[in-house]
Amino acid sequence: MDAANEMPSFGNNAQIDDYGDEPAYLGPCTRCVLFTLENEVYGIQVKKIREVLRVGNIRNVAGAAYGVLGVINVRGVIVTVADSRSMYNMPSREIDDLSRIIIVELDEERTVGLLVDFVMEVKDIPDDKIEPLSASKEGASRYIQGIAHFQDNVIILIDVEHMFAGIE
Amino acid sequence: MDEEILQDFLVEAADLVDQLNDQLVDLENSPTDSDLLNAVFRGFHTIKGGAGFLAITPLIEVCHRAENVFDKIRNGDVAYDEVAVEVILRAFDVISESMEQLNDGARELPENDPQLLIDLDALTGKKVEKPVLNASNSTESALQLAEGADPDGDMSDEEFEALLNQRDSSGSAKNDSAILSLPEGVDPDGDMTDEEFDALLNQRDTSGSASSDSAALSLPEGVDPDGDMTDEEFDALLNQRDTSKLVPKIAPSPVPKISSPPPKAPPKPSPKATPKPSENNKAKPVTKNTTESTVRVDTKRLDDIMNLVGELVLVRNRLLTLKGKNTDPEDLANAVANLDHVTTDLQASVLKTRMQPVKKVFGRFPRVVRDLARKLGKKIELKLEGEETDLDKNLVEALADPLVHLVRNSVDHGIEMPDIRAAAGKPETGTVVLAAKQEGDHILLSITDDGKGMDPDVLRQKAVEKGMMDEQAASQLDDKSAFELILSAGFSTAEQVSDISGRGVGMDVVKTMIAKLNGSIDIDSALGEGSKISIRVPLTLAILPTLMVGFNEDSYAIPLTSVQEIFDFNSEKTNKIDGQMMVRFRDESVPLYFLNEWLASDKPKDNYKGDKVVIVAVGNQRAGLVVNQVNGQEEVVIKPLGVMLKDATGYAGATITGNGSIALILDLPGVVERFQ
Repeated sequence: MDAANEMPSFGNNAQIDDYGDEPAYLGPCTRCVLFTLENEVYGIQVKKIREVLRVGNIRNVAGAAYGVLGVINVRGVIVTVADSRSMYNMPSREIDDLSRIIIVELDEERTVGLLVDFVMEVKDIPDDKIEPLSASKEGASRYIQGIAHFQDNVIILIDVEHMFAGIE
Repeated sequence: MDEEILQDFLVEAADLVDQLNDQLVDLENSPTDSDLLNAVFRGFHTIKGGAGFLAITPLIEVCHRAENVFDKIRNGDVAYDEVAVEVILRAFDVISESMEQLNDGARELPENDPQLLIDLDALTGKKVEKPVLNASNSTESALQLAEGADPDGDMSDEEFEALLNQRDSSGSAKNDSAILSLPEGVDPDGDMTDEEFDALLNQRDTSGSASSDSAALSLPEGVDPDGDMTDEEFDALLNQRDTSKLVPKIAPSPVPKISSPPPKAPPKPSPKATPKPSENNKAKPVTKNTTESTVRVDTKRLDDIMNLVGELVLVRNRLLTLKGKNTDPEDLANAVANLDHVTTDLQASVLKTRMQPVKKVFGRFPRVVRDLARKLGKKIELKLEGEETDLDKNLVEALADPLVHLVRNSVDHGIEMPDIRAAAGKPETGTVVLAAKQEGDHILLSITDDGKGMDPDVLRQKAVEKGMMDEQAASQLDDKSAFELILSAGFSTAEQVSDISGRGVGMDVVKTMIAKLNGSIDIDSALGEGSKISIRVPLTLAILPTLMVGFNEDSYAIPLTSVQEIFDFNSEKTNKIDGQMMVRFRDESVPLYFLNEWLASDKPKDNYKGDKVVIVAVGNQRAGLVVNQVNGQEEVVIKPLGVMLKDATGYAGATITGNGSIALILDLPGVVERFQ
């Protein structure tokens, strides 16, 4: 999958061409899963993601840290689910049919589920469209790796490593 | 350094170090046991061999010298006396520390303490000095020559000639050192050449002390099983031959024999022609210990597991074919029953791969007790029972620390000084028994001493002094509860705090750790007769029998070992004391914790009618947990809670119940802490 991230295939470019307003691009890309929160588009690198699940039963855990919704059973492994909204200080929202849990693999041993409003698609974002965000900014921006202006969308790329940094 | 070889070496050497640890302490009690001496010699020799292969010089230096010392000891040249014991134990500690450092990733070891090497040499030196005093000069010159020879290469013919000439000229030299001198000059790792062998035979002949009674020589057990005889071994063999006149049965073990060639016409036997001592392989322990992260599993067990997995696949296929069709309920029931069998067997087989003998923990205690006893000037015998009892790998590791605390306590506080024991009419030597046995799905560990025991009155008084309870409460404690006071934090009756024990911290730690393992502690003591501390822990940490309790939809699992009784909540039987709800339970006031206040704090309740009270034992106290419903028993597989939840106290993990939902496993000490 890593190789695919760095080497855009012609198939992907054809897809980009479909939009018509972007020229064919052959440079390095980052493949991302795009999802929405409060009508904003966010992206997480595909190589960090194991799978995307429909929301099943989330078992609440009394006394858990802020933002933790509970735990779910992913084929016999207990995975903690965090609400991505609370990570960005947004009010939480009822879970509906479009809600999804993105299973993020931080490393071999640590896996976290991230509840999002709606998962859009998987897309290759050209690296030269990504503006890195300086890490010095305050507040919520500490989880943001960069912002991509791409195909009329502003995509906020999430730095999951940072988002769950320090958790054990 | 080849990492793979190093790892192999570390695993093997760790076994040897463990064995040596035992053997050295045993040896102190029976310093002339030749089997034991040979075993120790072999241990050092094998470690040296491995270290030599990896060129770990400091380790080689120590092992080589220790090996030399034991070579002398087993030949009866040096006694394993107190001085030797101290030096050898120091050397052993250096070796075992080196192993730890290598295990921790160090690849370069610090230089050895020169004093240790000197002391070790001094032990063997005793032997060298004696012949110098009463032997002819030629002996010394022979020694010098040997030392001058290239230590890495084979001995050249010239050197050899010279040695032989010297030897001949010495004429009547009879002491062993002249014979010993030859091998020291030759490559310790290389094969012995025919010339060298020849020379040795000649030496033997010329030494004049050769006699026909040494026709059959025992090959020392340290012989390299690969078949090449090293010089040391050969040397030892020769020594044996010489000393065999004095001590005819120095090596009684039935090892392969080589016939001594007839005098004067040696047929140049190659050392490789000696029978391979295959028995040596058997001498190694069957159960290999492990490094931290790996487990050695018998191939047969793996085969069993593989076989069961095959069965599992068959059952799956069977179920898949049954799916969707107009299934005969009986077929389905058969398939499910089969699945039940296979998974149960598989579970048991996989669990077995995690089991290790409790010997792994016990092995360290002979040395601990020995050192402590010497330090305190006590005489103590440690008996180990049930060492072969199998225990989950994680438990083996987790139990080590608590047991060390308890054994130290027994030695320090339990066993009296020899004169006091004698005055009390007891044997001077105290006995500490460390025992393990399996009881159903539990392991029972006990530490028994025949020391002074505990005085419940002193304990009660101490509790009052420490402000833990008032006098009246203390006087109402029965003896058993009084003994359990020693498990409380900060409680110590020792008049003096030593660096061994007495700070009143250890037992508290023991209690906490045992509680973490879902175990329990029982203390029994008779004043003047001794104490017995028993620890019960479940056989495995992976599978836990639990009591399922529920709040509305959510279920929670309480470790069944802690559950003592369940009864209906009855508000008339409760009373509020100092803001804490209590319930009478068997003439005891037990605090009540309303779990819903914590687990369902968003839905406060004011009527607990119909709820149940689950009485649980937490450490040495009881607590009543008020729950909505009790759903019954279930064996659960403990799974760790995910990330971000490690800080949430009160949970030991999570599990997936029969219907696929998640139940949280309560960690009772954590729960009690939450409510206090």
